Amino acid sequence: MSEATELPWLWAGLSAYAVATILAFRGVVILAKTSAISPPVRSNERLLLLLLVSGVLLLAMALGVRWERLGHGPFINLYELLASQLFSLGLIFALVYWRVPALRTSAVVVMPLIWLLGSWVLMLEPSDSHFPPTYNNNWLWVHVGFGKVFLSFCLVAAGLAGIILLRGVPGLGRWFAHMSDAALDQMAWRFMMLALVFDSLMLIAGAVWAQDAWGRYWQWDALETSAFMTWLSIGAGIHARLSYKIPVRVGALVILAIFGLAFVTYFGTPYFSEAAHKGVV
Amino acid sequence: MMGRLHRCGRMLASTRLTLVGMVLLAVGAGLSYGNPVTTSVWVLVTPLGLLSLNLFAAILVQPRINRRGGLLMFHIGLLSIVVLAALGRLTYYEAHIELLSGESFDPANVIEPRQGPWHMGELDEVEFVQGPYTVEYGSALKRGPTRSYLALPDGSGGWREEVVGDDTPLVLKGYRFYTSFNKGFAPILSWTPTGGVPVTGSVHMPAYPLFEYKQDNSWTPPGGSEIKFWLRLDTGYTEESAWVLDGRQASGVLIVNSGEQRLELQLGDEVALAGGRLRYEALNSWLGYKIFYDPTLKWLFFAAILGVVGLARHYWSKFDALSAAASLDSASPTTEKVVNR
Ligand code: HEM
Repeated sequence: MSEATELPWLWAGLSAYAVATILAFRGVVILAKTSAISPPVRSNERLLLLLLVSGVLLLAMALGVRWERLGHGPFINLYELLASQLFSLGLIFALVYWRVPALRTSAVVVMPLIWLLGSWVLMLEPSDSHFPPTYNNNWLWVHVGFGKVFLSFCLVAAGLAGIILLRGVPGLGRWFAHMSDAALDQMAWRFMMLALVFDSLMLIAGAVWAQDAWGRYWQWDALETSAFMTWLSIGAGIHARLSYKIPVRVGALVILAIFGLAFVTYFGTPYFSEAAHKGVV
Repeated sequence: MMGRLHRCGRMLASTRLTLVGMVLLAVGAGLSYGNPVTTSVWVLVTPLGLLSLNLFAAILVQPRINRRGGLLMFHIGLLSIVVLAALGRLTYYEAHIELLSGESFDPANVIEPRQGPWHMGELDEVEFVQGPYTVEYGSALKRGPTRSYLALPDGSGGWREEVVGDDTPLVLKGYRFYTSFNKGFAPILSWTPTGGVPVTGSVHMPAYPLFEYKQDNSWTPPGGSEIKFWLRLDTGYTEESAWVLDGRQASGVLIVNSGEQRLELQLGDEVALAGGRLRYEALNSWLGYKIFYDPTLKWLFFAAILGVVGLARHYWSKFDALSAAASLDSASPTTEKVVNR
């Protein structure tokens, strides 16, 4: 059994995310009424950003407290992976939200997606984990770091893709009237392109680490196979757009499918392979 | 003639073919999951070959790719990775070995060696001596760092020490020796056949502490009948607290079963068995290594880095150009023309 002293911080962080989620919906409702980026919209956005950043800081505390207690970072079991992604997805989305005002309405898709992880982490036993000796490797940081940026950019793209699809739902179009489909599509794919860069970096760092840790850089274990498919699907998505005139909604579905694949890679493979990587014993 | 060649090249360079190759590659990757022995390597080689041809043709004839530095660099990186990985498979070498403390590495003792048809390494020239090793364990048998002490020729007739373990392999002549979780004990025995000369050898017991409960093995001496061994160890191991596995600190009683006889041997004990005499000389320990050789590793890394740098450069200039265009667009309120950028 664990003495998970980090739980209050985790709950506090998630509560902040919960309020930010409500504000995201409030934002689009205001936007639908005023049909322009009005002062109430802006102040709602500022409040949302504040809550998001608070959530990130509280989750950082949760991770820090746990790290201090166990003596190693949140890299091992599913509970730790989810908790640390909640932190990094929130952090990078907060940065993007702050710097790219045009995509702020996508918070109505992004925050519920973050909540998939949030509600999942609450159902898991925060059991203590053991840090395998092969994890004492600097490439771990590079691999995990790039992986976090990759998933976050994928999430942003998925948020924009979600808006493209929601705009088509009768009655919801008014919520997202401030941008055209084409502009949303372009922005979503740009984030996918950035995601591809970081995904590639993550795979390279992972291969170097695997060579050090297990004496092979690639072995088609569950995680590697799934990660390769994700990388390839981004490449295929980008190429399909180059070769064919893909309707914007189909493109949005492709982005969501890629996000789904990435999601399974991160959080699904621990289910059908006992450790994150097979080599961990 | 030239026209037809050109058309052929254009078809081969088509980005629609790339999509076909990518789908086939995804299927191949799915089939390769877990490296099943029944899956042929061709499920990967075929799509990779097709994609390489496709890409090579595109680099030659498609200005959309060969006029854009970053994009070109990225795709050349991809092509190089495929070529290098193929070279790697042709030249690789992989094996396992179990080394006793005090034993010199001898390529004749490797287990399950596999190699590519072009492997031309110099495993015969690899020289080192296994020294002692330690493995730290936390409570509940959580494995911590492994430290293996090796003696290597220092090039001037003497020896130098090197410590390897976990993420730090021994690298000699391009061969990488990784310590594995596989390690255990080995009683050293002498067998003197009736009227013959004594021979000394070791019996490797199953991995420890993984098979702590079944430290047994058997051996049939030349001219004798099968002898069953069971090693009752005292290594200081407990479930509850941290502990260090160190062959030098361990001792063990060797229980010998031969025919109807059952004997307990302490170190130095000698017994008469059917066909000869057996002496329990010493208790040693062995450590398992994975041996891996692939001369392309460094180049693969460079090719991959070259590729991402190219991709990053491509997007940098592309996004720059797009934002410049967007600010121009917003200055003159024309209709939107942001398709597929
Ligand atoms: C399987 C790995 C591959 C990946 C991940 C990949 C990825 C990419 C990416 C990210 C771009 C940039 C697209 C943009 O700027 O929006 C691109 C462009 C391009 N790729 Fe690939 N590619 C791959 C294989 C190939 C192959 C085999 C070909 C052979 C024809 C190819 C031909 C092209 C061409 C011609 C372009 C430029 C298209 C344009 O912008 O008009 N790629 N690729």
